[in-house]
Amino acid sequence: MRPLALVLLAVAAPLGAQMGGGGGANARARLAGRVPEAAIAAVDSLVRAAQADDLPTEPLVQKALEGAAKHAPPGRIVEAVAAHADQLRQARTLLERSGGPPPTAAEISSVAAAMVRGLPPPLAERIVAALPDEPPGPALHAVADLAGHGFAEDAAVDLIVAAARVGLRGLRLLDVATAAVHELQRGATHGEALASVRRALPDVPSPPKPSPDQVNRARRPHPGV
Amino acid sequence: MSELDPRIHQVLDGELPLERLPPELQATVLRLERAAGLLRAAPAPGSVTGPVLAALRRPRGSRGRRLFRWLTGRHAVTIAMRPVWSLAVAAVLAAVVLVPTHGAGPLLGAQEGIAQFVGHFPGARSVDVVGPFTDWRSGVIPLRDDNDDGVWSAVVVLPAGAHEYMFVVDGERWIADPLAGRYVSDGFGRQNALLIVRPAGR
Repeated sequence: MRPLALVLLAVAAPLGAQMGGGGGANARARLAGRVPEAAIAAVDSLVRAAQADDLPTEPLVQKALEGAAKHAPPGRIVEAVAAHADQLRQARTLLERSGGPPPTAAEISSVAAAMVRGLPPPLAERIVAALPDEPPGPALHAVADLAGHGFAEDAAVDLIVAAARVGLRGLRLLDVATAAVHELQRGATHGEALASVRRALPDVPSPPKPSPDQVNRARRPHPGV
Repeated sequence: MSELDPRIHQVLDGELPLERLPPELQATVLRLERAAGLLRAAPAPGSVTGPVLAALRRPRGSRGRRLFRWLTGRHAVTIAMRPVWSLAVAAVLAAVVLVPTHGAGPLLGAQEGIAQFVGHFPGARSVDVVGPFTDWRSGVIPLRDDNDDGVWSAVVVLPAGAHEYMFVVDGERWIADPLAGRYVSDGFGRQNALLIVRPAGR
């Protein structure tokens, strides 16, 4: 094989593995040499099952690579991948129950990621049902942010849904949670913080955009190299 | 110029008859008189007024034609400059050509954003950030401590969305970013930090 072809193959193989969602032979190839041999067959089987179920498979491959990088034993890696596959199924079920078009892989991954933060499924379902025209990820993360700072989960959902109803969308919902946390840091109680932010809606501060210097210094990671 | 014999002047002035001169001086006087006759017979030089006026009356042509003539004609172009200024101009030109510009950062896609990772790890020999964006490999995004003050940082382009990550210090210690504010269970008994990257254009 010519050197140019070898170079192209070296560049395209990891790229193709990522773009292809990590399913099937691609997943096995990415796991080989990094994940303990004893775990590969089971992980590959879980990935294939997820693929057959139309679930996103890349998060499962990543969970296996993460476990291997952290030197987890093979059994633990398989357990973690299986648990993550269950979370993806749960997220898809939740999205399907809320109606609308079939959820995309990105939506399923996003909801699963938010639920991994500890949101109980009924609460997540309530948010998704209350905001049917919204991508659910940011709203779920906003509620998880609030719950993570000790706000009552129901009150947190009420605030985020109220923010969406006055026109805040997508990642701006995260700014609502951030504003409430800032009120806490200024000395307000949880109740005062929620009331203060609710009164201010929809005027909550946005985070600063990246400076030109940051953009110029930014590097693009190339994990396949 | 050789001086003429004064007697020749007297003859030319009519103060002395030609015959009173010796024969060689008579020949000189005769040559001079012939030359004077030739000068008197020569036509008077013409006036330069006519040609100058003719040139002035010639139509100047359109502005475009004049510009074309000026551009295609030959001109002496002289730039008077002190040597010290010419050195300064040369230095500026060299700087423009040789110094890399800082405005040539990465082009961001519509669904990409900037993530800044910062950690305080005094005494560390190396710090990496790892996550799905590095396939959980170390060495892909090394942080830098340019001031040796223990503050390590990196600025990275990532797809917009939620990203789990950890710092790997000295290639072996896995640490969840204490400043992340968001954490998730990693399924292996630890917590990953969670970063939500916003599209840079929003």
